[in-house]
Amino acid sequence: MRVPLSCRRLLTAFALGLALACNRGADSGSKPAVALVLKTLNNQFFIDMEAGARAAADSLGIDLIVQAPEREIDVEKQMQIVENLLQRQVKVLLLVPSGSKEIVPAVIKANGAHIPVVTVDARIDTMALRAAGGVVVTFIGSDNEDGGRLAGAFVAERLSGKGTVAVLEGIPGHENGDARLRGFRSALGKSPGVTIVASQTANWERDQAFNVAQNILQAHPSITALFACNDVMALGAIEAIAAAGKSAQITVVGFDAQDDARKAIADRRMAATIAQNPREMGRLAVVTAARILKGETVPAEQPVAISLVKYE
Amino acid sequence: MAEGPGALLGRMVAGRQAGTVAGLLVLCVALWIATPYFATAANLANVAEQSAIVGVIAIGMTFVILTGGIDLSVGSLVALAGVAMASALQRGWPLPMAIGLGLLAGAVAGLANGLLITVGKLPPFIATLGMMSVARGGALMLTDGRPISGFPASLRLLATSNVGGVPAPVVYMLALYIVAHVVLTRTVLGRYVYAIGGNEEASALSGIDVRFFKTIVYVISGVSASICAILLVARLNSAQPIAGMGYELDAIAAAVIGGTSLLGGTGTVVGTLVGALILSVLRNGLNLLGVSSYLQQVAIGVVIVAAVLVDMALHRKLQQALR
Repeated sequence: MRVPLSCRRLLTAFALGLALACNRGADSGSKPAVALVLKTLNNQFFIDMEAGARAAADSLGIDLIVQAPEREIDVEKQMQIVENLLQRQVKVLLLVPSGSKEIVPAVIKANGAHIPVVTVDARIDTMALRAAGGVVVTFIGSDNEDGGRLAGAFVAERLSGKGTVAVLEGIPGHENGDARLRGFRSALGKSPGVTIVASQTANWERDQAFNVAQNILQAHPSITALFACNDVMALGAIEAIAAAGKSAQITVVGFDAQDDARKAIADRRMAATIAQNPREMGRLAVVTAARILKGETVPAEQPVAISLVKYE
Repeated sequence: MAEGPGALLGRMVAGRQAGTVAGLLVLCVALWIATPYFATAANLANVAEQSAIVGVIAIGMTFVILTGGIDLSVGSLVALAGVAMASALQRGWPLPMAIGLGLLAGAVAGLANGLLITVGKLPPFIATLGMMSVARGGALMLTDGRPISGFPASLRLLATSNVGGVPAPVVYMLALYIVAHVVLTRTVLGRYVYAIGGNEEASALSGIDVRFFKTIVYVISGVSASICAILLVARLNSAQPIAGMGYELDAIAAAVIGGTSLLGGTGTVVGTLVGALILSVLRNGLNLLGVSSYLQQVAIGVVIVAAVLVDMALHRKLQQALR
């Protein structure tokens, strides 16, 4: 029969292709393997973090495996990736948790496999972690609430203490976005003349931010400032604002200081952004992994500096 | 349709499953050679557990596709059923009642899909596309967009316990597949599902209540999304209104890789199970090998298309040989 033969040939070709594709990954050899699991790889912030981590891994002789789910919101896929990498017996897990409570079971599994867990950029809910009996060695990241306060103070100053503000929130329940929002609100609380008239989520995404900003402008055409909890959303919003011909009227502030946002600030399309340093986070994460591998103790919190970037 | 296990095996080997089963085996062997971490008991249990989430939704999806329909709402139904169950638990409902509410949510939404399609005469694509948005919005409204967490330990046990080393979700999945297989091969419902997918007009003319049976498959699909929701909530210890996005596509992929034709009338749940396993083995293997996340998406797309190509080629050859 010719049937299974042609089928087998196709499958063999596929298997060979796969085996070839695998070869690159499989020759990790003697170098210790460290995993960096991100929220996604289609956001410049995490791409920068990966670049910082890779540079450090190359100089320290660490075999760095970087993985991320396709969607930033997909906690279940992130959990699967962590489970799979635990099977791969990585020596340290560097994790940017995509849900502050949801990822706790994955941390417990890593603990069970005696693989130290380091959280980067986003925290894991302390209560949930403690309740489940999990341990995270150290947290590397910025104080997002501080960043939010910095943004709020800047907006209040720009508006000279009087005006209306719209906010684009991140995905509800993401600790980072919630913290930025808390900080922003608390800073605005000191200027009673500045009020938030609209606060909506755009799920961290640029296209959604465009639409949400457009809708907010319909309802509140006279807003004088907009704060987006990340630059991706701020960049979407400035397009919507430009399309409405209101660029001169509205002060837009983002968060993350991505390259695109810095460019927008240099072009005076955006007023300011908060600089976290994802490259430094990636570098520090890998350096920390190397220290853990050597058996050194590391501090429980390793802050990465935060600053306001505006047009100079 | 009744047949012994031997005949079934024979049909599988000779028929449409041959390509997919062989594909899964080749994939496993390739990974076994490529990485020492793949063929360990812990990892295989891990892969099986990961396949349960999409595997369960894919059961309902297979029923729907067999009738020539499609259900795009299942991803959103996972979220809706999950938050319905979670908010019931938060209000202090006992676990069985909360689970019942989750199942009911999926069943009602599935019934609405079915009625829109059979009574409202909407194309399944449109009806379920509408439900996809309605259910997602409903889930967000119920929760104010925030995840719900903090459940009784009994719920966690549903996903974390194991039976003789086999993770509980795998046990549920296999049990559901056995039930679905029996329903499709040995009951009137199964026979009519294939008949309607093969030729709807002829089925109606021969006296089959097409409306009723077409509605039923969407209810089955809604319920399987609910079961998946329960597993997901138990696994993550949290019900998210944004959960399940894109799961409908994974479920369709599992069914299609498994040899179910989108035109209806051909396919088996056994094939779908193999399809779901191929997807998880592939994701697991690519993770183990440290393949770039971008390349992973390319690989998964290639496998979906290749599986269907091989399957179709095989089918054509087989028909030629039989002629």
